[in-house]
Amino acid sequence: MSLILENISRRIGRDWIVRHLQLEVAEGECLALLGPSGCGKSSTLRLIAGLDQPNEGRIYINGKDVTSVSPVNRRIGMVFQSYALFPHLTVAENLALGLRVRKISANDQYQRVASVLALMQLEDQANQRPAQLSGGQRQRVALARALLRDPLIYLLDEPMSNLDAQLREDLRPELRRLILKDGQPVVYVTHDQHEAMAMAHRIGVMRGGQIEQVGTPQELYHQPTSIFVASFIGRPQINLLPAESGIITAIRPEDLKLCTQGLSCQLIHREWLGTSQLWLLESSRGPLRIITTGDTSIPNDIQLTWLPEKEHKFDASSGLRCN
Amino acid sequence: MIRTRKLWITALLLWSLAPLLWQVYTSFCSNESLLHTLTDHQSRWTLENYRQVLTANPPFWRYLLNSALVGITSTGLTLLIAIPAAYSLVKVPRNVARGAKLFLLGAALFPYVLLFLALLELARNLNLGNNLLALSFPYTALSMPLAVLLLSSAFRDLPSELEEAARVEGLGLWQRLRWVLIPLIAPATASTAILVFLFSWNEYPIALTWISSADLLTLPVAIARIAGSSVYSIPYGAYAAATVLGALPLLLLVIIFQRQIVSGLTQGAIKG
Repeated sequence: MSLILENISRRIGRDWIVRHLQLEVAEGECLALLGPSGCGKSSTLRLIAGLDQPNEGRIYINGKDVTSVSPVNRRIGMVFQSYALFPHLTVAENLALGLRVRKISANDQYQRVASVLALMQLEDQANQRPAQLSGGQRQRVALARALLRDPLIYLLDEPMSNLDAQLREDLRPELRRLILKDGQPVVYVTHDQHEAMAMAHRIGVMRGGQIEQVGTPQELYHQPTSIFVASFIGRPQINLLPAESGIITAIRPEDLKLCTQGLSCQLIHREWLGTSQLWLLESSRGPLRIITTGDTSIPNDIQLTWLPEKEHKFDASSGLRCN
Repeated sequence: MIRTRKLWITALLLWSLAPLLWQVYTSFCSNESLLHTLTDHQSRWTLENYRQVLTANPPFWRYLLNSALVGITSTGLTLLIAIPAAYSLVKVPRNVARGAKLFLLGAALFPYVLLFLALLELARNLNLGNNLLALSFPYTALSMPLAVLLLSSAFRDLPSELEEAARVEGLGLWQRLRWVLIPLIAPATASTAILVFLFSWNEYPIALTWISSADLLTLPVAIARIAGSSVYSIPYGAYAAATVLGALPLLLLVIIFQRQIVSGLTQGAIKG
């Protein structure tokens, strides 16, 4: 099982919302599309689903060209951002609707809906309407509907964005287990880097309709190929030192170390985070963020240094990595 | 502040309800009491007007039935055409939809009375005179612009993810309409249906000219006939009784569906 996007582009009017996109998702792999709003990640998902048509390029599911195949025949399990549950139908009816139009016998419909309700622990909600459910339950119904499609790939569009922060963290392991249990490729759209890192094997960082970098969370963090990826991945944000002869040096807050003889700084602001603390400093090379251990006391004279191999160097005009 | 608002509301209520209450009052008064000062042994209150209207030939319920028949067929026919039309207006490119909506708005605002001579000519040529069901053709056509506009704003307000989810689930166009979209716009459909029914129930010039047989008259024409039935006197009481009877079914409809009507009419306005 696999999903391949080959040079996909889509245009609305004169604007390219997805441009020359290459992507491959393997069996059993979860790939997150990460980026700020308007970067084209949801548009890419819609192209894979067949809800929109690309102007150029081809899409392959399991090696079969599905570029001009209708959404239903692509056999995708999709979870929408709003969950898109039908408000006038009960949970059981929501789940059975797709089976019914696919001419599955009433008995089979009942069996399959019952088993997925059991899997999702939604038996008690079977006869409730979506409005009566909690956010987490709605998400499970949406996922149950996707599972019932018996899909070749899963597409999830910001499935956590309607949930509060605590619930989001609680649901990640379970959601990850369910979408990966049968080995289908998963494309997971999110704007939250923590979620992307927690859910995905690989992350594609998108900007302006293009993929800026694809890689494992570790690769993106340690070897960002552009300033955009370097600043988008990692909180607190990476420090960007002013350009010197066309080269911007970037350094992660945790790679800055206190020393006795180095770059002299003044403390502007301090946040204690428990096991660590964040200092905002002002130096001759601009503002700096540094992460230190929770028990570090502030020295009278703050001097900073870092190892040269921790430096990320970027070309100032193109923004691309050059070390 | 609240007191002035109450005052305004009371004034508005009086302004709109007073004629109706006066009509109800008149319908229970004897004709003599309406025209002369009462002598001692005369009573003001009577049911005579209602008796007269209900036992006339043909009896009044006949007209109610005629109007209901025309109303139901016009409403059904209008919805049957307007719902798919409204849906398609949401799906066509935006500039096409805007043009079509302007055109529909123009048609909705056009004073239809200007058409009635042409319609009469049409009825004569197509032999549609004295045919109750044929009346629903012009009624459907005249209600169509408003119905399409109201329903298309209801379709537009539905989140597009709902229809996309249905597409992913494998529902074809008709299945999506039947199982998802039409049930979801039910409030707008109810308010549109009431408006169309109301138009057909109240319509006068076309009904007057297309129908001449006494058995087939619709309410407004029948009521007008009562008013003009005698050269020498005007039967105020009977006329009032007929209007009260004619208004009752609509009053019931509106009371039953008032929540849907209000939510349907304001739907487009809030989300814009």
